[in-house]
Amino acid sequence: MSFEHCVRCTICVENCPVYKVEPRFPGPKQSGPDAQRFRLDGEKSVDQWVKYCCQCRRCQVACPYGVEVAEIILKAQLKYGAEHISPFTAHLFANAYHLNALGSTFAPLANKAASWNVIKSVLNLLGVSKEPDLPEFRFINLERGRRRKGKGRKVAFFYGCHLSFNRPDIGRKIRDLLVSMGCRVVMPRQTCCGLPALGNGDVDMAKKYAHKNAVTLTSYINRGFDVVYACTSCGLTLMQDYPGVLEAPGGKKIAENTYNVNEYLLSLMQEDNEKVPLGRLERKIAYHIPCHLRALGIGYPAAKIFEQIDGLECFVLDENCCGLAGTYGFKKRNETVSHKLGEIASAQIRDLHVDAMVADCGACRMQLGHFTNLPALDPVEIIMEAIADKTVNKRKSGLGIKHWLRKTP
Amino acid sequence: MSSHLHDVVVIGGGMSGLMASVYLAGKGFKTALISRGDPVCCLSTGCIDVLSSTGSNPLDGFGGLPEGHPYHLVGKKGVEEAYKLFKEVMAEGSIPYVGTIRKNREILTPIGTFKTTCLVPATMAASLGCRDEYVHVISFKGIKDFYPSYITSKLKNTGFSLYDAGASSTLAIAARFEEKGFAEDFAVWLEGLELPPGKVALPAVLGLNNPVAVMEAISLRIGREVFEIPTLPPSIPGFRLFRSLKAALQHRGGDVFWGMPISSVERHGNIVEAVTLATSGRATRVQGRVFILATGSFVSGGLFATRDSVHETVFGIPVHIPGPRKDWFRNDFFNAGHPIEEAGIEVDASFRPIHGNSTNLFVCGSILAHSEIMKYHCGHGLALATGLKAAKMCERMLT
Amino acid sequence: MSIKTDVIIIGGGATGCGIARDLALRGVHHYLVEKGDFASGATGACHGLLHSGGRYVVNDSVAAHECITENTILRKIAQKCVETTGGLFVRLPGDSKRYRDRFLKGCDEMGISTTVLSPSKALDLVPNLNPAMEEAIVVPDCSIDPFRLCMLNAYTSRHRGGAILTHHEVIEIIKEKGVCVGVKARERLTSQIKEIRARIIINATGAWGDRVARLGGSEVPMTLSKGSLIVSNHRLTNMVINRLRPPSDGDIIVPNEAVCLAGTTSIPIDDPDVLEIDPAEVDIVAGEAEQMIPSFGSTRLIRAYTGVRPLLKASGQDGRSISRGFKIIDHGNGMFSILGGKLTTYRLMAEKMVDVIMERFGLKMKCRTAELPLEGQDELSGYPLSKRLSNMDDIICECELVSRNTVEHAINTMGTHYVGDIQHRTRLGMGPCQGGFCTFRALGITQELGRVSPEVSLKILKEFLQRRFKGIRPALWGDQLREEQLIESIYLGILNMESR
Repeated sequence: MSFEHCVRCTICVENCPVYKVEPRFPGPKQSGPDAQRFRLDGEKSVDQWVKYCCQCRRCQVACPYGVEVAEIILKAQLKYGAEHISPFTAHLFANAYHLNALGSTFAPLANKAASWNVIKSVLNLLGVSKEPDLPEFRFINLERGRRRKGKGRKVAFFYGCHLSFNRPDIGRKIRDLLVSMGCRVVMPRQTCCGLPALGNGDVDMAKKYAHKNAVTLTSYINRGFDVVYACTSCGLTLMQDYPGVLEAPGGKKIAENTYNVNEYLLSLMQEDNEKVPLGRLERKIAYHIPCHLRALGIGYPAAKIFEQIDGLECFVLDENCCGLAGTYGFKKRNETVSHKLGEIASAQIRDLHVDAMVADCGACRMQLGHFTNLPALDPVEIIMEAIADKTVNKRKSGLGIKHWLRKTP
Repeated sequence: MSSHLHDVVVIGGGMSGLMASVYLAGKGFKTALISRGDPVCCLSTGCIDVLSSTGSNPLDGFGGLPEGHPYHLVGKKGVEEAYKLFKEVMAEGSIPYVGTIRKNREILTPIGTFKTTCLVPATMAASLGCRDEYVHVISFKGIKDFYPSYITSKLKNTGFSLYDAGASSTLAIAARFEEKGFAEDFAVWLEGLELPPGKVALPAVLGLNNPVAVMEAISLRIGREVFEIPTLPPSIPGFRLFRSLKAALQHRGGDVFWGMPISSVERHGNIVEAVTLATSGRATRVQGRVFILATGSFVSGGLFATRDSVHETVFGIPVHIPGPRKDWFRNDFFNAGHPIEEAGIEVDASFRPIHGNSTNLFVCGSILAHSEIMKYHCGHGLALATGLKAAKMCERMLT
Repeated sequence: MSIKTDVIIIGGGATGCGIARDLALRGVHHYLVEKGDFASGATGACHGLLHSGGRYVVNDSVAAHECITENTILRKIAQKCVETTGGLFVRLPGDSKRYRDRFLKGCDEMGISTTVLSPSKALDLVPNLNPAMEEAIVVPDCSIDPFRLCMLNAYTSRHRGGAILTHHEVIEIIKEKGVCVGVKARERLTSQIKEIRARIIINATGAWGDRVARLGGSEVPMTLSKGSLIVSNHRLTNMVINRLRPPSDGDIIVPNEAVCLAGTTSIPIDDPDVLEIDPAEVDIVAGEAEQMIPSFGSTRLIRAYTGVRPLLKASGQDGRSISRGFKIIDHGNGMFSILGGKLTTYRLMAEKMVDVIMERFGLKMKCRTAELPLEGQDELSGYPLSKRLSNMDDIICECELVSRNTVEHAINTMGTHYVGDIQHRTRLGMGPCQGGFCTFRALGITQELGRVSPEVSLKILKEFLQRRFKGIRPALWGDQLREEQLIESIYLGILNMESR
């Protein structure tokens, strides 16, 4: 009954990105603890406006009293979705995993098709926004290719859909970096973490994914593996929703043994600084903190690593939501909100005159890369560039790390 | 468990915690700031009350404060130092503060009264002296917490106009002021009103990030001074104040851990070694050489009252309680200075709790006993001053 | 300048309003004069329980019979005031089995339907119940909104030739040749005095019965006992919960709108205008409620309130065991007093009183208040509560989902500027923040609509904050104490409203 603690201070409202740009959304306080007093058991939901909440969880992070505002709203969204017919886009995006897999199978044709106006118009009629570009699909996703690499500390890498189907290059970089730090990295068979399904009201599908992953991950954990995630939204789902609303078997144990990749790297560095030989990197970057990383409450481990890179000027930006919010910004009804939030967040980045923006989350990278026109990198890419500095060739960071690997015993 | 090593761990992200951590991070110490959520200064006017209950010079009033008041531990010099640092820090960002420590000043409230304070954000600077001038009040269509007739009926020389911002909450209007062209359109409309000479006042909605720039641009166009009036929560000036201080900490390399309560404290004898955050799955351990408790009073969550007692929510430090529950509040709501305001942690001259048993734990801010913040109207001033003083005590201990 | 009418009713509680409606339906012109707002006495400070009668079957069968009859009638005619929650009588370990048997027998005799439930079945209905209970018995208790009830009764009066004067205090009863012929009433805000003359005066003032009777030169010996209740932040139960034992302190919990009311105590007092809640009473009530619903002990309470039981004096009995039956006293000088009774039987009391008046006037019209539904219900929001979540446009009171339209409508139709009036009609400010935020808005709107000057508006705001504080003060700990510090920082800090 955490809503009992609400004293109506409106701090959550101050933090809500949607409230300030969407007049149809009554704000987190009203949607959460206020409305909760009226949501009585056994009565049909009528609160259709809860759909505007993008589940950034900023309200919950900001609440000084421990009111689980975002969770209350999520449950209301799920209940409403279960009692009413969901729009086409909800069904479409709940199946994001399958769509991604499909796109990957038919890449690069799928990429071409996605840009065809006729396809875009049809999708638009069905409720998909024309604005955000669909991410590009890659045929050689992380399901294909090497599943085991390296020797040493056992790591099971939960890479997530975006890295697998859209940016397998980043996924491989992360794998290689961990390997270079004395890890034996396994890419376990996995399905989507379940967040797109959950966020689009299909709890059953989300639970199905969660259960499947839980079985796999638990078996690795039982064999002494640490689970590492790179996408902060997958991370939030594994850490909070698996033991929570998705009731994954062994969810608690999974959360206990799962790490954010930068958190993991940082602890490896703390053990032995030599493990990650950070050289010099003269860049000016804006590190946009994904909302879900904030929600994890673990601080900003990548920023701690960046601090140790000579010559790197890094601005940590944690005040704005990028506005894409997973599948939220792909829906036509959220077009304006997503666009406005993208503008606000990118304006802050542009003012800093940086040469790249960095974010742990694929959605943030897509959105802000699009709005700022800057390269959008994962923190690991910056780390690897800094490591590559210690080698001869500075320009191709991928080559750099391989070169360095050859040097180590 | 994930572990983080720091020199200083500050618990509580409000005015005193932010001040302490900004100072220490600025001095090169590895500083962590832990906060369960956003602080209540987000709901304040954004101004710094040093000692508003006294007359013109707030420092003159120190003599009249009861013996146990924490201001005595800081002294006038301590307050001046805090004020100086605060002004410097705020000047780095986009919202400089104006005012002098030796002179209280007035700002206009939404009900046409005047509130005595000391330091104000530059967006409220022109509020000074508006009693005697023509003030044109602007309100926005649909706004729920601002009724200009309270002001226009009280001040001698006023006028009023309504603008349709296409949004009715203060936050939404502020977001509009940050959109391209909106402030410009607003200024053009204002210009068209052809106002008599004087000032223009409006509820505090001139954007979150660059309100001073917006204000100056409007002011320039219409040739009149413009000032903001602080509103009921959600309070934009309060939110700006918090964000500026937090950004200042982050610029100085401070780490922030936000959104999680502390689940346990590790001690070794009378040294606090670490605190643990209740992050899901695996706790996050934050280790430090010194700890500063700045978790605030009841409203901030630093103190919690049961039906018959009060306790301190993180370390369990014994709390000074002014009598049984039936004596906590007087009968008159407006009698600011309810006895419960005296509740809090008593500290010695080094800002260590008198009844605690840790040598590396310091306490500052509104959690201090005998602060009586509503009675003396000294909230933010006390927070900044004790925050800085406690930070200096830590610095001494660390070096 | 004197107003002339046939009947003056002094007192705007359930009884007074019920009489007004009945008179209106029977075509008798009347004036109702009430010194505060509707239901400012016991009516507004009770449990809001529409009794099934179960509470009285063992010790007061007449009352029980009246209750069940009226319960059935009110459910029919006052649908928007009554939430058909149903009720449970919960027997805990140690409660007398003999009482329980007499209870079931009595209910049976009185026609009060009962169903005996095992603990597990009872927990299905109300999950928060004490799992250690022995059993629970279902009865047709309901939750009723006393303000709405009064308001709707008054609606009929207004629309059919009656007149309602709230915020008018009767300061004198005019007598000519030993006969009561009228009253002088002073309007609270303007202090203007109105003179109203009538053939009959009815004293329906509840706890002030004796005081008003004396204005007319008569006496009504009364026993006044104060009963305090506490309000929880949210609904811990969707059914009325009673303790299955001889009536005692704190053994009723009633869901009401989005909160729960629990009470009550019984403490003798002298003066109905001097009412203080002792924090110890709060502890007693919470302690008893906790026996039936364990989480009541730790749940957040948003305020406490107290009211006075208006009971006819009988020597040697405590306030609880004096019969709740009512009495009509003819003072023989043109004034009647109608006293006692309970909220559930208000309509019956009114009927009896008006029957007497009809006889006195030689009129033959029969009472129809039992058959005709209360008029004016269409505009009111109904149950279930969750339906109110469908529209969130322009909400003024966010705790209780009161929109600007509702507030403006209330202000315009009533022509009022009293915050209490708006609150009672719209539930503005009845939620967890107790009007901390929305009252400022409501007063601002009242001002914008030109009903009151900004200066008076602030005066009303101050009075309201003071009254609100009085209700909250006995329950200030935990979350509610946090809330209070926040409210202080707004009104004393940001707005600087201190009385200096």
